Amino acid sequence: MAEIDSSGGGKKGGKKRSKKMSTKIDMTPMVDLGFLLITFFMLTTTLAKPVTMQLNMPDKTDTKETSPVKLSETLTVCPDESKVYYYQGIPTEAGTVMQVTNYSETGIRKVIADLKAKVGNNFTIVIKPTKKAKYRNMIDMLDECAITNNKRYALLEIDPDTEALIKRSGK
Amino acid sequence: MPKVKAKRHSVSLDMTAMCDVAFLLLTFFMLTAKFRPEEAVTITPPSSISEKPLNTKDGMLMVSVSPEGGVYLATDDQMAREFMLERMANRYGIAVTAEMKKNFMASEIVGYPLGAMRQVLNMKPSEAKKLSKGIPIDSANNELSYWVGYAKLSNPELKVAIKGDKDSNYKVFADIIGTLQAQNINIFQLVTGPENKPK
Repeated sequence: MAEIDSSGGGKKGGKKRSKKMSTKIDMTPMVDLGFLLITFFMLTTTLAKPVTMQLNMPDKTDTKETSPVKLSETLTVCPDESKVYYYQGIPTEAGTVMQVTNYSETGIRKVIADLKAKVGNNFTIVIKPTKKAKYRNMIDMLDECAITNNKRYALLEIDPDTEALIKRSGK
Repeated sequence: MPKVKAKRHSVSLDMTAMCDVAFLLLTFFMLTAKFRPEEAVTITPPSSISEKPLNTKDGMLMVSVSPEGGVYLATDDQMAREFMLERMANRYGIAVTAEMKKNFMASEIVGYPLGAMRQVLNMKPSEAKKLSKGIPIDSANNELSYWVGYAKLSNPELKVAIKGDKDSNYKVFADIIGTLQAQNINIFQLVTGPENKPK
């Protein structure tokens, strides 16, 4: 491939000239290398790009009345380290049942999707991560809200009543 | 009669132009590429299906949480950084020498309590990493609140991003959110890794 063209022109006879070397060299390997590097850099930069999810919290100084949410249209989820607790209703009431599921596709996602189908557009999710929850668990929960197409969710601190309910359920 | 030979064309063609283009592109991408911002500790963010890229147009205030729960603050706005140092040093009565300021500006990340500031800034940035254990955010001594407050004072356009390690405790995150909300910062960008959307 890498030939150096040294044809000095096909002159017959005449004066004897010093052989002229052509300056042409084969550029193919160099082009290969160039494109290889480009491909490499482009792939590595796009793969490392972080994405963000935006989290809007309510304004604490804003005292404007917000629209009330019906208890029956609300699901409270408490992400824990490896499982998710969820219940409907008020934690202090005896009739409130704490249930537990996991982060899998058939777990909390199904629970949310089923309830959303039953309740309709006003469905609200209240997220109260437990004390043991990791940051990842909260992101997973927000992700589930995005996957099931829920725009109405609130991120709250866990309250003692809910903690007591988790303890009582013994799960 | 001699045999008619098909004229043979040479298969080698001039690659110079192609080579030029390849290296031009290479140079362009390398020059426009942004370096990954330095990190005090290695943080692996959790993944989410979100597809929004990080918006760094108007400046960025990045609060990072290490797996152990240490809080670090970084900003790409040089003016805000200078302003922060000035005000923080003033507030805690630390005399800042030119050397300390140089060291402060050399590293993008703040991750030490104010008590250790003099010691950290008198060291080389590479050595000071060991002392960077995080900014205190407990309610008794919430230094993050001041750092963020001064940064916002210098450049109100700064967007707040939170980059937490996936194994960091949720409580640290809740504390950060609480601290920022007390300053009426209610919109956060949570930095996550990309993940495929389920069907």
